[in-house]
Amino acid sequence: MIIGTAKETYRADAALLTTQPQRVWMAIFLAALLVLPFVLDAYWLYLVCLAMINVGAATGLNILTGYTGLVSLGQAAFMAVGAYTVAWLEREAGTPMLVNLAAAGGVAAAVGVLVGIPSLRVKGLYLAIATIAASFILHFVFVHWVPVTGGASGISVPPASFFGIELVTYFRLYWVILPVTALMVLGAANLFRTRIGRAFIAVRDRDISAEVLGIPLLRYKLMSFGIASFYAGVSGGLWAYFFRVVTPESFPLLASIFLLAAIIVGGMGTILGGIIGAIFMTLAPEMLRFVVEWVSPWVPNAGTLLSPLRTVVFGAMIVGFLVFEPQGIAEIVARVRRYFRLWPFRT
Amino acid sequence: MFSLTRRRVTGLMAGVALVAGLGAAQAQEDDIVIGGSIPLTGVFAFAGVAIEAGMQDYIKQVNEAGGIGGRNLRLAYEDTGYKVDQSVAVFNKLTSQDEIHLYYGDSTGFAKTIAPELNRMGGMIMGGASFASELNDPEEHPYMFMAGPDYSEMIAILMEYIAEETPGARIVLVNSDTEFGRDPIESSRAKAAELGLEIVEEIITPPTAVDVSTEVLKLRRARPDYTIFHGYILAPLPEFMTQAQQLGLETKFMGTFWSMDSSIWDSVGEPADGFMGVMPYRYYYDEEAGAPTMAKIREMRPEYQATGYMQGYLSAMLMAESARRVLEAGQELTGTNLKAAMNTIEDFDTGGLIGIPISIPGNSVPVGRVYQYSAAEKKMQPVSDWITVKE
Repeated sequence: MIIGTAKETYRADAALLTTQPQRVWMAIFLAALLVLPFVLDAYWLYLVCLAMINVGAATGLNILTGYTGLVSLGQAAFMAVGAYTVAWLEREAGTPMLVNLAAAGGVAAAVGVLVGIPSLRVKGLYLAIATIAASFILHFVFVHWVPVTGGASGISVPPASFFGIELVTYFRLYWVILPVTALMVLGAANLFRTRIGRAFIAVRDRDISAEVLGIPLLRYKLMSFGIASFYAGVSGGLWAYFFRVVTPESFPLLASIFLLAAIIVGGMGTILGGIIGAIFMTLAPEMLRFVVEWVSPWVPNAGTLLSPLRTVVFGAMIVGFLVFEPQGIAEIVARVRRYFRLWPFRT
Repeated sequence: MFSLTRRRVTGLMAGVALVAGLGAAQAQEDDIVIGGSIPLTGVFAFAGVAIEAGMQDYIKQVNEAGGIGGRNLRLAYEDTGYKVDQSVAVFNKLTSQDEIHLYYGDSTGFAKTIAPELNRMGGMIMGGASFASELNDPEEHPYMFMAGPDYSEMIAILMEYIAEETPGARIVLVNSDTEFGRDPIESSRAKAAELGLEIVEEIITPPTAVDVSTEVLKLRRARPDYTIFHGYILAPLPEFMTQAQQLGLETKFMGTFWSMDSSIWDSVGEPADGFMGVMPYRYYYDEEAGAPTMAKIREMRPEYQATGYMQGYLSAMLMAESARRVLEAGQELTGTNLKAAMNTIEDFDTGGLIGIPISIPGNSVPVGRVYQYSAAEKKMQPVSDWITVKE
């Protein structure tokens, strides 16, 4: 039972993990992440890798939409920019994988800053439309800039190689995706202990007041777009190494909506929310497929009958979350933690 | 008294679920499994459901006749919603559960994404719903095949028909702005030049276009003899055809495989009359003599089956035949052996599903026939012989 955590130094106050149970759970989680690829088969490894890529992109979107309040439906387009950058570099230059990922992030960040320029003039819903417009413009570029992007048939990405080892199995890819994603999430968590992070939150809460307080709005809004797009670009680059083919249809508008739904379901404005939301949304279709499989001994042809139901259940879940738990799964987790704070005494 | 609290009920349900899960049917170990990423929901659902039915029916026939070398065929499939990442997830799931040497993929995107993995694993051959020209390359994609002509070959068949009917005709190509739609454009230009046909205009529309009035105006300016659509299923073809009729254009409209199922034109009515296109198979209602497969299909399925059914049926037939040849030669079921066996398929009689005996020297079956839709009879009538495209 934790009655309170008395902090005696500023350093302890700003720490990410404040209580002993938190540190223990984090240690268990990290140990589990290290053991996971040895116990899971290819199918589950594939899902875990895909979930981690989505975690990276969702964390970026969380910084932009959850913490800075700038609604963006262009995150998938920035992922596409990162993916194409990696694909092009792998094909043309022989640069190492990590350099390619950094370049993907950089190019996506530059594009993101460009897309963010209207954000000083337009807010809220109108900014969302502006980002949708940006994603259509980028799609047009991908389809028609054939010498670079390969047009409608896209680019096949040769496998990444790390010190001569070709990353062709999900097991090997896991050991690249995990540290990159973990670093990105840690970076995001750290960001909100700094002045920049607090400025983002101020912009979200009331941007006019933030400006009065001396936060240059355009600079911080563009910084937010840049950081979010950097995350999307790196995740897109990982996606390119993971799927090994990038086409203009790989990142449709639906993918941006998927990421937005992920952070809403997970909890906007919390790092944990971004992580949980992305994992939940990636694994939900698979869970529903298991239900279909479980039912199939009794209902023949369950696949054909129940599959349309899957899409309905999926949407119903999102709406259900918005109605019953608008602050997302992160809030459920926080509630559980609060309950255990005074356990075994009832609150 | 044992009262049923909510907690106890949940616990009981969990217990039942556990027991039921354990009691689920155990798969036969020596079955030959055909894996399938099939789009049962989403934009391609009508085709996916038909494909699954076609494959299951052929598999049932094979098993009733004793299987392949005494082993039963089995289709292990799951829905993908026509999304590439779900298709890949299903592929990973099925290949980790069963030993799979034959696979049916749902889209061009999936085929291209899984190609490097397929080449690396080398254990299976893959067919599918994609007729993409890019996959018809035995060197790049040694383990892929398609149960029909690729999109470029389909347009080549249409152009050979046009060159015979109207030498030197003017043609307009209308394609959708997707990978599927843009696939055959390059080779269509080459083929037209070769046959002395003139492509006067190339129109690209968004895949889900509703308002096509500007494109119809382009059509009017071009005044072609034939307009070839590719990259669509139904929309916006009826719109095009209705507006062109209103403007008094005399052009004949043509389409490729996925626009040629007759049931989708039934609801369009009069504007669909005279629509032509290429189809490699016979239609469900084709009662021409010498087609025992079609009679068998009508016997098994009293209601109309879409062309996707024939595609699935033929894919299963080709897969089963390749497996049979490999096992009869006493070899292992690997990708290389299966593909080599498939390439030995020469003058193979499909029982009338395709009107002439077929050979598969490469990755495709470049045979097709031109049909024309009759709105009065609500049927597709053949207007040409079976045309084979030579490389």
